[in-house]
Amino acid sequence: MNILNFLEKKDISPTPIVPTQTLTSNTLVFLIAIMTFLSALTFGGLILVQKSASAWSSDISREVTIQIMPIEGELMDANLRLAETIAQATSGVSNAQALSIEESEALLKPWLGEELDLTDLNIPRLVVVKLSDPLNADLLSLKNELKIIKGARLDTHDAWRDQLNTMAKTIIISGMLIFLLIVVATLLAVFFATRSTMSSSRQTVDVLHFIGASNRFVAKEFGSRFLRIGLKGSLIGGISAIIFYMLLGFITSSYLPSSSTEQITALFGTFSLSLWDIFAILSLVPIIALLTAYTSRLTVRRFLKQIAW
Amino acid sequence: MIEFNNVSLRYGDGPTILRDISFSIKKGSFHFLTGSSGAGKTSLLRLLLLSLKPSEGKMSMLGQEISKLDRDRLLQLRRHIGIVFQEFKLLDHLSTFENVALPLRVLGQQPKEYEENVKELLNWVGLGERMHALPNVLSGGEKQRAAIARAVISRPDILLADEPTGNVDPELSERLLHLFAELNRMGTTIIIATHELSMIKKFNYPQIALKDGGIIIR
Ligand SMILES: Nc1ncnc2c1ncn2[C@@H]1O[C@H](COP(=O)(O)OP(=O)(O)O)[C@@H](O)[C@H]1O
Ligand SMILES: [Mg+2]
Repeated sequence: MNILNFLEKKDISPTPIVPTQTLTSNTLVFLIAIMTFLSALTFGGLILVQKSASAWSSDISREVTIQIMPIEGELMDANLRLAETIAQATSGVSNAQALSIEESEALLKPWLGEELDLTDLNIPRLVVVKLSDPLNADLLSLKNELKIIKGARLDTHDAWRDQLNTMAKTIIISGMLIFLLIVVATLLAVFFATRSTMSSSRQTVDVLHFIGASNRFVAKEFGSRFLRIGLKGSLIGGISAIIFYMLLGFITSSYLPSSSTEQITALFGTFSLSLWDIFAILSLVPIIALLTAYTSRLTVRRFLKQIAW
Repeated sequence: MIEFNNVSLRYGDGPTILRDISFSIKKGSFHFLTGSSGAGKTSLLRLLLLSLKPSEGKMSMLGQEISKLDRDRLLQLRRHIGIVFQEFKLLDHLSTFENVALPLRVLGQQPKEYEENVKELLNWVGLGERMHALPNVLSGGEKQRAAIARAVISRPDILLADEPTGNVDPELSERLLHLFAELNRMGTTIIIATHELSMIKKFNYPQIALKDGGIIIR
């Protein structure tokens, strides 16, 4: 909390003309801290969604799967081998490999539980086809050639990916909206707090005018007070949000049972924010502080214009 | 230096407080502004401080007709006027030193520049020891002197004081008046509102007397 002390104390320069420690200012610091925390959470959430969505789509586009349905009279293992061979011969494919029963079980375990045993079940089997060149892979000919295997179907995940993108976009747009609303609510609170501070400081404002202060001077004094409040609040909020994300990452990686971790990881990627993401979240701090100072300065100007000399 | 021509003053739609007042005050003079409570002394001082505009009539100060001045010029003009309020109006969270330094701070001076001046003035009004005290621990007389020091720190051409001896004992009020007389000798034009007859008699400066909205100069 050294930084905060530093912001509070300015030994070298004279006492601020507008009192710094009042109930309104403490409440406002608290409110801005909460608002910054919420916007940082929204913002961080957006970053995570954006990251997982693009990670997913690029993973998905590097891979297609061939699904082979079990059909009476067909030999699954032979068909799997045939599908592998066909796929490997297709241009743009780097590798094709059928999943063993164990691998299928491992894939489904996070969703269906530990005791899963697929050996007796007649389930569709998968051939995972890795693409070396997703854009130029000849998936159309692969699809045509697979027609010779009964029950085989090529899944390029296109529909899945489109849906994923739409979902991610929806989440991001809603998130932005929430983010905007939080910022607007914060500024409204700042507006009202400034007005109330101004009217309770009417005496001070009058004295300043009588001893020859310009409106500019008065606005600057109030503005710098609110800048300090904004900085303090947004710093507390921003840092709390980062601590929150770190804890969340820590908890998901070390405390949750591994199967839920796998689900969460499968869905969201890891809850880890890169340095760059932390930087982006911290960039909210000066933005909110400056917006606070600017809003209060405008409010002060309007207030001063209203009171006649 | 100060010219009033048929000045009248009303608050909103209320009764006329000052009616058709004309007078002029020369540079370097010393006047008492007298009248019973409610006669309009404070109102006249506010006109002189440019914190009220006359409802009618013309006034000019320091050679400038004030109705012709814009906000900035009014501000410039006001910086030539020092005021001691009846209720002091010191800022509670600032020390005596900082209260007195305020007019210089407002002009953009840095602590380095004004520190010596402010200390010197505080010693002169006998507040050297109370420099770091906050107003609410000062006695009435000390507040009064702090308010006077704040009014004169920027060396105004005109000093206005609203009943500066109203809250202090006779001995101190005499000392305060000597202080004003001293400032006057150094060239400041002084107008002091008061209703204390003993002071007026003792010091025998010319009076602007308010009665029934009009004035008598004597
Ligand atoms: N802000 C104001 N609004 C309305 N009336 C006022 C205001 N200030 C003073 N008055 C009225 O003007 C009259 C003169 O008051 P004031 O100038 O304070 O007299 P004094 O200082 O001589 O006691 C009083 O009747 C008072 O009620
Ligand atoms: Mg009065």
